[in-house]
Amino acid sequence: PSPLQRSGGPGHSDCSPLPLPAGHLPALRTQDEGTISKPQQIITHLRKQKYNADYDLSATQSADTLAFVSLLEEKLLPVLIHTFWVDAKNYVEHTRKWYAETIPFPLNFFLPNAMHKRHLERLQLMWGDDYMEDEEKLEKELYREARECLTLLSQRLGSQKFFFGDSPASLDALVFSRLAPLLKAKLPNGKLQQHLKSLQNLCNYCTSILSLYFPWDRGDPLTGAPRAAGTDGSEAEEDPHKRRKQLLSVLVGLAAMLGYAFLSGIVSIQRGSVGPAGRQPVTLEEEEEEEEE
Amino acid sequence: MCNLPIRVICRANAEYMSPSGKVPFIHVGNQVVSELGPIVQFVKAKGHSLSDGLDEVQKAEMKAYMELVNNMLLTAELYLQWCDDVTVEEITHPRYGSPYPWPLNRILSYQKQWEVRRKMKAIGWAGKTLEQVLEDVDQCCQALSQRLGTQPYFFNKQPTELDALVFGHLFTILTTQLITDELSEKVKNYSNLTAFCRRIEQQYFEGHDKDSCTVSVQSSKKSSLLK
Repeated sequence: PSPLQRSGGPGHSDCSPLPLPAGHLPALRTQDEGTISKPQQIITHLRKQKYNADYDLSATQSADTLAFVSLLEEKLLPVLIHTFWVDAKNYVEHTRKWYAETIPFPLNFFLPNAMHKRHLERLQLMWGDDYMEDEEKLEKELYREARECLTLLSQRLGSQKFFFGDSPASLDALVFSRLAPLLKAKLPNGKLQQHLKSLQNLCNYCTSILSLYFPWDRGDPLTGAPRAAGTDGSEAEEDPHKRRKQLLSVLVGLAAMLGYAFLSGIVSIQRGSVGPAGRQPVTLEEEEEEEEE
Repeated sequence: MCNLPIRVICRANAEYMSPSGKVPFIHVGNQVVSELGPIVQFVKAKGHSLSDGLDEVQKAEMKAYMELVNNMLLTAELYLQWCDDVTVEEITHPRYGSPYPWPLNRILSYQKQWEVRRKMKAIGWAGKTLEQVLEDVDQCCQALSQRLGTQPYFFNKQPTELDALVFGHLFTILTTQLITDELSEKVKNYSNLTAFCRRIEQQYFEGHDKDSCTVSVQSSKKSSLLK
C-alpha cells in the first residue's frame, strides 16, 4: 500500500491474501483491470491513473532510483527471503504462524507451505546448491553483502528525511517496504535485524514513514498486522497447528478404530446388526472433538 | 586500470576451472579468485584500489550502479544468447560447442541453455519478450548515460570499478556480432556512452603489445563474456 499512500492515491490496506493471483503478494484490486500482482505493474497502473511519486525527480535522481532498486533486489531481497522463509527457526516460529493466523481457513493449512517451497526453490536457483548446503558460507558471504547493502542505504540517506530530499519517491516506498518488516518483526534469529537496528537513521526513517502514512497501526504494527485476526480476539492466540495436530490425531484414531472394528468383525455392514463395542469409542471421540472447538 | 601486469588466456573449460563456476576469474600465484566482486576485494587487499578517493555516498552509488549493470545488462546478454531461439540456434550453440566433438558439443550447450533458462525463470525474466528485454536495456543505458553526463568517467576524473564494469559490458555489446543489431543500437543511441567506451579503449587497450603490462584487470571479463 505504501506507493498508494505516497502519491495520495486512494487505498486501504487489506490484510487478506484472498483472492490472489496464484498466491502472490502484494496485490492490488482495481475496478477496471482486476487484480494486479507484480509491483512494477502496480506502479505502471498508478501512473496511468496520474499518481506518480517520481514526478519531481531530476534525470540523475531517476537514474539513481533505478540503480538503488537493483541493489536492493539483488543483494538485500534474497537474504530477506532467506531470513523470513528459509531460516528454519524464523520460518517455523514466526513467519508460518504469522501467515497462518491471517489467512482464512482452509488456505492457512497449505498456503504458507506453498510460499515456503516457492521461495526455497527460487533461492536455490539464484544461489546454487553451494550456498544452500553450506550454512556458514551463506552466512559469511551473503549476509555480509546484505549488511553492507543496509549500510550503503544508510550512508546514502544520511540525515535527510527521504532519499531525494523532503518528499518521498518510489525508492522510499520500496526501501520502506523491505526494511519495515525486518525492523518490526519479532524474529528469533535476528542477525540481519540487529544490524538494521544499529543503523539509527534507517530506524528513524522507517518509524517516521509508519507514523506519517500508517497512523492506524500504532505501536507494533506488524505483529498486529493481521487486523482481521485481531477482531477475533482470543482465537488469534490459538496456535492453528496445535489444532490441526489434534484434529489429525483424532482422525487417525478414528480411522484405526473403524478399520479394526471392520476387520475383526465387531462391526459389520449389514443393516440392523449393531456392533456397540466398536461404535462406542468412536462417538466418545467425536464428542471430545466438539468440546475442543 | 590499476596498472597491474596480466595475461589474458582463453580456455574452453574456463567455467569449470573457476571455483564458483563463473567467469571471469584470475589466477595469481597459487590462488584463484572468481567474479568481479571478490577480484576487486582481492586486489584491494594487495593494496590496489580504484575507489579509495570516493566518499561514502559515492561508494554507495557506485555499488548500486554496479548492481544495476549486473542486474540489467548481464541478464539481458544472457537472455539474448540463451533464450532467443534464433540467436541460440545460429550463434550460441555453434560457438559454445565449438571446442568439443559431436555429440558433446550439442549436449553441453543444451545443458547450459537449460541451466540459464531455469535461472531466468527464477528471476522472472522467462516471461519477457525480446522487446521488453531491449526496453530494459534502454532504460539501463539511459540511467548510465544520465549518470555519466559529460564527465570523462562516472566519478569525474578517475576511473573506478564501475567504469571498468560498464566498459566491459558495453564494449562487448557494441562489438559482438549477433543476428540483428538491435542491442548495440540501443547503446549507440547514447553518444556519451559510445564516446566513453572509445576513450577507455584508446587509453588502456590500444598501442600496447598483447603481453605487455598496462592492460585493465577487466579485459579478462571482456573475452569471457562471450561464453
